[in-house]
Amino acid sequence: MAVTLPEPVRVSPLIKTCRWTALGLGIWWGTKRYAALKAEEDEIRAYNAKMKPIWDAEKAAKAAASNREQMIYLAKESGTPIPEGF
Amino acid sequence: MAKLVKNIPVLIELAKPKLSTFVRYAKVELVPPSPAEIPAAIGDASKKIANLQKQTFRNWTVKEAAINTVVGLEVFCWFFIGECIGKGSLVGYQV
Repeated sequence: MAVTLPEPVRVSPLIKTCRWTALGLGIWWGTKRYAALKAEEDEIRAYNAKMKPIWDAEKAAKAAASNREQMIYLAKESGTPIPEGF
Repeated sequence: MAKLVKNIPVLIELAKPKLSTFVRYAKVELVPPSPAEIPAAIGDASKKIANLQKQTFRNWTVKEAAINTVVGLEVFCWFFIGECIGKGSLVGYQV
């Protein structure tokens, strides 16, 4: 390489301080925000995990009820006798 | 993959001059302020705030304005680099 690179620039102290202060502030803000968002998301996840069996049971009950109604309708239309206690 | 791993010593040797150039500049330009420089920085900052109040920036040449804008933007971007480090991810918070 025949190119001579320029001398390194002596950066003003103000710029250096501002840069590294901004870096430190950014790191602090990043960790703070991450902790807060993680706490929220963990709550939501815990709530969903708690409610999942309840919701699954509700959905299953609803599906069974609608299935029963459809079977009764089909039986009526096709003339099949409905067994006792269905 | 094995070929890549075999080439690593060669790549390191190729990268050394570039790395040394980078270190040569980084040692002067990217180094944090020494404790002696901080009072000078604070004095400089109060001068800049006084300039802001006096609105001397209205007398900047276009070249000065462009340089100052870019430098200000760069300082501001270090905040976002710090935020990426703090949140431990490049894009978005991986909660």
